[in-house]
Amino acid sequence: MKKIKGNSVSTGIAIGKAKLIKKDELYIKRKKIQRNEVEKEFNRFNKDLKFVVDELDKLIGDYTYSQENRDILESHKMILKDPLFNSRITELISKKLHSLEHAISIYFTEATDIFSNMNNKYLSHRVNDFEDVAYRLLSHIMDKRKDILEKVDENSILIMENISPSFVTKVFDKNIQGLCTERGSRNSHSSIIARSMNLPMLVNTLGLLGNIKDGEDMIIDGNDGFVIISPTKSVLKKYEAICKKEKNIQKGLLRLIDKESITKDGKKIKLMSNIEIPQEVEQLKKYNSAGVGLFRTEFLFIDHNELPTEEEQYEIYKNIAEQCKPNPVTIRTIDVGGDKLSNILNITHEENPNLGCRGIRISLQNIPIFKQQIKAILRANVHGNIKIMFPMISGVEELSKVKEIIETCSKELINTGIAFNADMELGAMIEIPSAVITSDSIAEECDFLSIGTNDLIQYTLAVDRDNQSISDYYKPTHPSVIRSIKLTVDNAHKIGKKVAVCGEMASEKKYVKLLLALGVDELSVSPGRLLIIKKEILDCDITEMKSKLDEILSCKTSKEINKLI
Amino acid sequence: MIRKTIKIVNKLGMHARPATMIVKAATKYRSEFKIVKSDMEINGKSIMGVMTLAAEFGSELELVADGVDEEFLIKEISEMFASKFGEE
Repeated sequence: MKKIKGNSVSTGIAIGKAKLIKKDELYIKRKKIQRNEVEKEFNRFNKDLKFVVDELDKLIGDYTYSQENRDILESHKMILKDPLFNSRITELISKKLHSLEHAISIYFTEATDIFSNMNNKYLSHRVNDFEDVAYRLLSHIMDKRKDILEKVDENSILIMENISPSFVTKVFDKNIQGLCTERGSRNSHSSIIARSMNLPMLVNTLGLLGNIKDGEDMIIDGNDGFVIISPTKSVLKKYEAICKKEKNIQKGLLRLIDKESITKDGKKIKLMSNIEIPQEVEQLKKYNSAGVGLFRTEFLFIDHNELPTEEEQYEIYKNIAEQCKPNPVTIRTIDVGGDKLSNILNITHEENPNLGCRGIRISLQNIPIFKQQIKAILRANVHGNIKIMFPMISGVEELSKVKEIIETCSKELINTGIAFNADMELGAMIEIPSAVITSDSIAEECDFLSIGTNDLIQYTLAVDRDNQSISDYYKPTHPSVIRSIKLTVDNAHKIGKKVAVCGEMASEKKYVKLLLALGVDELSVSPGRLLIIKKEILDCDITEMKSKLDEILSCKTSKEINKLI
Repeated sequence: MIRKTIKIVNKLGMHARPATMIVKAATKYRSEFKIVKSDMEINGKSIMGVMTLAAEFGSELELVADGVDEEFLIKEISEMFASKFGEE
């Protein structure tokens, strides 16, 4: 029996047989290039190197990775940025007329030879680092990042180095037990889908591929984040018991699919889903969600080298709207920091991106891009029930500008004779304290409000949730946060507008009753959490909870509030 | 030009993490930076170079910096060696 650690990106227990999906062998042609091709090879080198370095930068900046793994990636990046690497490749291409692929493979063969011949075992292991880097670079250059899905069955736990986006759907179409990847992150497509399917998944299980054989018995503990290879009988028994228990709970939850989400004292709560990528709609339909409360459109923009066209966006929005009809699909316009868009937009480095050009600010600074998105949404609204929502609203000024732009887009669409439907509810995300304080004016300018609790907590308490050293300050039930939600709901209700919560707080069982008592009308949660939260709603007696509300609102600390909920 | 002799005091020697730390720190400076081990001299701003030194626990190295900020470079790098790169 052997244990290997990883980062859990989707909880649960999986018991099954390992199915290894290995990376392709790379075949490098040893063909010489012509002298006039040298320049072309250099250009490819610079472009592809930049891509792979950027990719590493993203992984290094991903705090879901352990420090150790990020250190390894940091050294991988340094291998690529090594002045010796650059000069040797330049020499191999310009003097020896080797193709880029061949030059790279020569360089890394030379490097690994040096390390293999070292006496010190610890140092000679560095061969792996160089091989990893070489593969990362060459597989990108040679466009070989495809995996071949061999025969898998319902007992399989897939193990692979990484899942390419094109491979994700293929994997999830299969009926499998779970999934482990040696790379990947919490926010990769595969992780998102695994979560919405409740399929146990670990990423970052470094060394797993080298330690496990195809067909070997294994367990994924997605609750504590590790893999067990060839478990002993007693360990297996223990996990089978946990697994059975979880399956029973899941079975119980599945019975709630057709139940209306209504509280014990009879208040109907609209329970919707957050989705990040279109493929998640499948799950949402399966769980009978009352529509999409938050469709993040970032996936269209992040990790792309080109902007999506209006047409591409239209097709995607239309498709989701059609699938969810007559339920609403709430599309949130682009909400990323400028740093994530540096591939496609000319954005200068910001000292403090969270307080910088992100959310609606990006859109208002790049009107042509914003207009494309708005037009795509207006057109898609012909095919379903779309609502539009704007992130990072700090006050009514942004909303007035946004409305003007929608107006212009409508006019332009009329002039070109393209079908669209401007009859669409418009909402503001409430996630900045200034928006909470002025939520009365904001509510007047829109049809609904949606509270993004993650950012609201971050900005209210001035705490970066990814910063481990201050994570204690990130308190969802801080009195300031609870009172902010109350103020927002009250202001909206005064003029008959509804309030949704789409942040992580809505997906947490323990906060559901409190949110409902505060008067929140709609909850939007990740598809994998839908039934769990529905159960919470069914068990909730708002009247009873409301009787405690005054006491909760007068609490001085989050600790006191936690005791009452 | 400044030369300074130092000894490797961390048990694992110059493995990937210390090598990364050295190169990362050295690249911040404008001065040229070389590391000499017996008859071998490598570019201290190259991870490949630093790792090929195969410097193990107890071995002696000479740090050589040359340029406008040489003393700061030497100071930072030798402190890293002395602090065992934060190991143990």
